Amino acid sequence: MAEINFYYLEKPTLSNLKRIFNSGDIPFIRLSKFLAPVPIGSKPKFNRKEKIGYYKRQEGSAILDDFWKSSEFIQFLEASTGLKPKFREANNICYSAGDYSLLHTEESEPQRLTVTYDFTKSWKQEWGGYDLYTSPENDPLICNRDPGSLMVVKLEENDLSCTQYVSQKAVSVAQMDRIVYDLD
Amino acid sequence: MRNVDRLPKIKSRPFPHVVVKNFLDPPTLDLVIDALAGLEYDFKESDLFSYWASIELTDINHPAINILRDDLGGEIWRKKVAESFKVKKLSSIDMAAYVYGLGDFLLPHDDQVEGRIIAYSLHLTSEITEEMGGALNIFKANDVGKSKLVDSIIPEYNSLIMFEVSDSSWHQVSEIMLDIQRLTVTGWYHG
Repeated sequence: MAEINFYYLEKPTLSNLKRIFNSGDIPFIRLSKFLAPVPIGSKPKFNRKEKIGYYKRQEGSAILDDFWKSSEFIQFLEASTGLKPKFREANNICYSAGDYSLLHTEESEPQRLTVTYDFTKSWKQEWGGYDLYTSPENDPLICNRDPGSLMVVKLEENDLSCTQYVSQKAVSVAQMDRIVYDLD
Repeated sequence: MRNVDRLPKIKSRPFPHVVVKNFLDPPTLDLVIDALAGLEYDFKESDLFSYWASIELTDINHPAINILRDDLGGEIWRKKVAESFKVKKLSSIDMAAYVYGLGDFLLPHDDQVEGRIIAYSLHLTSEITEEMGGALNIFKANDVGKSKLVDSIIPEYNSLIMFEVSDSSWHQVSEIMLDIQRLTVTGWYHG
């Protein structure tokens, strides 16, 4: 089982994270070196998924599926956000050269908490592949690839997210566990 | 002035499209490119695209742009386009200039917006090759959205590419791979 970096479990840190999370127009926290030791990303069985004009990527089971469902991690989310998340789904997603996902307003979902753990091994910013979160009344939130980091974002019903097109020049793959939690 | 007065045969698969080569005569072509070089372009970026765009060219009063607007959107040419594509009467066009530089792209989409009947793109970059990127990729998609690349049209200098807009007109501009400027005048014929 993966372990959360002890620093993120200290009370003052959790209190600080909760304050930061609730101060953003789009509430989020981004935590580098979140897991210690860094888990070795075993390769899940991938299926290539494509819906033209919507997405093109590979999907498989989440590498840390059990961890994202664990009480330890859910308690951490509660303490760092002040929310009561309920696990919905977890997947491992890979974007290689030419892959993309796009924002579609008709794909709006109820209020949710999204968690992204970045398994990308090495990345250059000019390859794109960043995560984009949009909210109708706010500036978009851009999250560049950052191996080993955890991104927690609260999205409202009309908020959307996608992963930007990956350049044909990319020689690495943007890989992440993406987990969604329902909020009451 | 326009160098051609008729369209070649329309290709029907995967959706109706055509490439009209040598669309403008050389003097007009030079004047148009000079005029476009004098415009300001704003960088536009979204999840779907990355490119530089001019303002709407139908709002500009410039001798060369006026000629181009007439060559692309004049009544006689509109009638020929409508007849060739077997679509209803085309009433107007809109047009803007776009520059794609290194890393720019336009991802797959079908162009469907109310009123758009025929999409067009006049290509104004000389000596563009496949390795440079910037091809117009044409896809065939099945009912669940799985696509197959059917054609990749290298945007030949002074060629006008047109296609009928529909729920199957999936296309993209492939990523620019080298340090070039892919210049086009692009827009739609409206019903």
